[in-house]
Amino acid sequence: MAAAETSSIAGLLLVSVLILPVVGILAQLALGGRFLNWICLAVFPASFGVSAATCAVVWSHGEPLIYIVGGWQPPLGIALRADGISAAMMLVTAIIICAVAIFARVEFTQPSGAPEARAPFVFWALILALWSALNALFLGCDLFNLYVALELLTFAAVPLVCLKGGEATVKAALRYLLFALLGSMLYLMGTALLYGAYGTLDITLLAQRVHPERVTWIAAALMTVGLLTKTALFPLHLWLPPAHAGAPAAGSAVLSALVVKGSFFLIVRLWFDAMPGLGHTAGPQLLASLGAAAILFGSVMALRQQRLKLLVAYSTVAQIGYLFLMFPLAMAAEQSWTSLAWTGGWLQLFSHAFAKAAMFLAAGLIADALGHDRINDLGGAGRLRPLTFCTFGLAGLSLIGVPPSGGFVAKWLLLSASVAEGQWIWAAVIVVGGLLAGGYIFKVLGRAFTAGSDAPVIVTPVSLSREVVAFSLAVGAVLLGFFPLEPAEILQIGRPEILGSTVP
Amino acid sequence: MTLGEVLLVATLAVPLVTLVLALSSGSHRRTTILLVLAAIPALLTALFAESGTTVVLPQALLSLVLSLDLPGRLLLGAAALLWIATGAYAVLSRRGRENDNPFPIWWLATMTGSFGVFIVADLVGFYLFFTLVSLSAYWLVVDDGAPPAKRAGAVYVSFALLSEAFLLLAFVLLAVATRNDSFLIRDAVAAISTSPLRDPAMAFLVLGFGIKIGLVPFHVWMPLTYASASIPVAAVLSGATVKAGVIGLIRFLPFGVPLPGWGETLTALGFVSAFYGVLIGITQTNPRTILAYSSVSQMGLIAAVLGMGLATGNSITPAAAAFYAMFHILAKGGLFLAIGVAQKTRHRTEWTVLLPAAVVVLGFGGFPMTGGAIAKYAIKSPLGDGDVAMLAMVSAAASTLLMLHFLRCLRASRSHETRTTSAAEQSFIWLAIVVAVVALPWALYPAVIQASAHDALSFDALWKATWPVLIGVLLFGVLGRAPRILPMIPPGDIIVLQSWAWSGAKALGDATERIDEYLRRWSIAGSLLLVVTLALIGSFYVGR
Repeated sequence: MAAAETSSIAGLLLVSVLILPVVGILAQLALGGRFLNWICLAVFPASFGVSAATCAVVWSHGEPLIYIVGGWQPPLGIALRADGISAAMMLVTAIIICAVAIFARVEFTQPSGAPEARAPFVFWALILALWSALNALFLGCDLFNLYVALELLTFAAVPLVCLKGGEATVKAALRYLLFALLGSMLYLMGTALLYGAYGTLDITLLAQRVHPERVTWIAAALMTVGLLTKTALFPLHLWLPPAHAGAPAAGSAVLSALVVKGSFFLIVRLWFDAMPGLGHTAGPQLLASLGAAAILFGSVMALRQQRLKLLVAYSTVAQIGYLFLMFPLAMAAEQSWTSLAWTGGWLQLFSHAFAKAAMFLAAGLIADALGHDRINDLGGAGRLRPLTFCTFGLAGLSLIGVPPSGGFVAKWLLLSASVAEGQWIWAAVIVVGGLLAGGYIFKVLGRAFTAGSDAPVIVTPVSLSREVVAFSLAVGAVLLGFFPLEPAEILQIGRPEILGSTVP
Repeated sequence: MTLGEVLLVATLAVPLVTLVLALSSGSHRRTTILLVLAAIPALLTALFAESGTTVVLPQALLSLVLSLDLPGRLLLGAAALLWIATGAYAVLSRRGRENDNPFPIWWLATMTGSFGVFIVADLVGFYLFFTLVSLSAYWLVVDDGAPPAKRAGAVYVSFALLSEAFLLLAFVLLAVATRNDSFLIRDAVAAISTSPLRDPAMAFLVLGFGIKIGLVPFHVWMPLTYASASIPVAAVLSGATVKAGVIGLIRFLPFGVPLPGWGETLTALGFVSAFYGVLIGITQTNPRTILAYSSVSQMGLIAAVLGMGLATGNSITPAAAAFYAMFHILAKGGLFLAIGVAQKTRHRTEWTVLLPAAVVVLGFGGFPMTGGAIAKYAIKSPLGDGDVAMLAMVSAAASTLLMLHFLRCLRASRSHETRTTSAAEQSFIWLAIVVAVVALPWALYPAVIQASAHDALSFDALWKATWPVLIGVLLFGVLGRAPRILPMIPPGDIIVLQSWAWSGAKALGDATERIDEYLRRWSIAGSLLLVVTLALIGSFYVGR
């Protein structure tokens, strides 16, 4: 670990990003629903500001921010560390959560004069808990603390699924809960093994101590598979489609854009930081094979769906697959192109986060406006709500990988790395995945913008401001396309030398 | 900034600003005329900006590099003329439907992409504009909303996405060949000819651009699309947007050094298309479908020219191919407008359409003094004197036959109503294009090929240009006497295989769905958890 920086500013920033959302929950409990609007109005901008400031400080200093809580050095004490990828993740998380909050403001408001409703109270508490848990995941340096953050994330995410009530959503939520708990168990078993073998769970210390031996492999496999269940990588995706399609639009957006990425982030920490030796095994190839299967399988399933929200959910199954292509490409033995793959993988994550959040919000607006989300009955609906379908289209173009969009830059970088490293199979999968995505996006857009047999009618008017929020997120996905096609500096901050090398 | 640089930027900026205007204005009555005006900067650029003018845009605009060269200039000028003419035609024929959004928006988007590919000099920029022109055109195709248009649109967009997938791979390979040093097309092409990635890159380039120009067997989208889109849309698609593939081949193939193998392959593919298009075309009766097959044939000829240039390292090839493509932009676009005008023309005045159409039609065979004659004369040098030149002559005869067949079907398609809406303005647009088709190639030949056009008027050249046409006329006469010998072939010919492909895809989809259902059972998912864990542990041992 680099020289510990315990300056007051670092401590203040890193602690606030964890604490501020929790303060919001506590205030809500203490003051009650009447002040909900005011609490949100204070907490969301404040947390956003702190996240953005942390990112700015990390970027401008060019090195990780580290804070040792209470002055106790790890492994005894707790350290918070924001490197380049944590800073970027925190910023993306803050932007998306705040956008979703603005979107959900109308739907989850406490009715004035009426008795306090349960849904708004629960929704805001869950969103804030999610935010705090995600930030804890991004900042944690110790595998057990990360376990705690992961549990918090799961327990905040599951109720979001069944917020609307109804048998189907409760079933979906239970499915999610049970499977996620299985995952937690596996992860915990892995950490126990590691602790028994090496006497520490601190990531930096572990990286120095782990040996290539049986206990390491078993622990790594258990923890990875545990995290894969929460990331819903094929074939462990059983819970995702019903859960993400059943949640209210704002919830789906956060679940698909951020929550599955939380556990993915942890896999990256485990493989790249705690056990970089895994890169010399066939492990990365196996992960990428599952990713490739996810891309093909999820895209075909998305093409087959009749309901818009399920289509978007299966598209998430596919898009998660791309993230795992990063492992063989960024851990390759020949290192001249690894940093390109590293940037490409993260850009895929960020642009998918923006695009998918926009898409779920748009799908929610469409379902609200038309009273249904049957794709076959969308004929001509694009002319009724052009902005919403534009949102869907823009986000879709990013998923296909059409320039200018973050999806295009990500694909370009991943493709470059795979052909330059001679790993052609992943290039083929990326291209076929793009084609299939084109299929399911144009299927929706084609229906929406050409007249059908009977014209759809707007049953519930939707407010322009919600449409604008969804549209802005899609524009965010497009703006990521202005990223230069080279390794991004910020994502290299705090990386070990293995990824520090740039293209010669 | 010099005038040339300003014009170069305006070529793209003006249509884009117009696009924003069209998006934001509530009434489209005022913006319709802008459809025409927005293409004017492109024409001015082709006329007044000098070849070699280059502009590097700031990073906020993706660091695009715009640059004008001779092939780009020829295609840009002709495309601008066609966009202006068809824009005017579209405005006239859509009177009363001005508020029918979003036609103007997609028109402008397609136009921007169409101009962009001719003047952009970097890989990412080219991909951007290529995508813009290909995908925006989808909305023009389905604008009609009728079931045939929807089907054509679905086929069109499938091929467009496929071509982009191949090109993305090709461009990534090109960038990797420069070790990500330069994204300029010029540098990448220079690097690829000596790179070990050359063969895959060439394959993906030929596939990607081949789909765009409708090389057999990737031509099926053309007959379907051109037959079901509206007249002005079919005109710009067949004339202007297809040339995105031509300029792509011109820009991305490494001319100047002989590259045998790939050159011969492209030539062979080109001639297959050139003859296949005619063979299927003469069985068709819809004038639009015939024109589509003629496009398949003509684009095949251009591919053959480029292939020969690639094989022999002939450096005049890009200019010559662009010159021929310029002729095709105006001639093919014009003939589609002629179909529209003919449908509204009365019996008595039909010669005003048919006579000029005959002039254009004979040009496809290279009949002396037509625009096509000088265009065909320009591609003689890359084709050489051998068997390939002979093949080109035979293809000229075949084209004559096909186009005469078109003329006959055009005559049959004219209006039988006694009173029809006046098409005087549309006729004027059509006649203006006819003048351009004949005059422009002759006027530009000396500047493009660096030789006097007098050579094309020598007795030898005139004879060589005439006999293929005579053979074509002869064949047409024979065929006219025995029309029944031709089989009935549906437009899009091998598209009938689509139903097989479709049922195959459906079976695959059904299987995927069953697998998904199976995998999502609890018992299966639980065992999968175990399997993945064991596999992962195993994989850790394998690699070491």
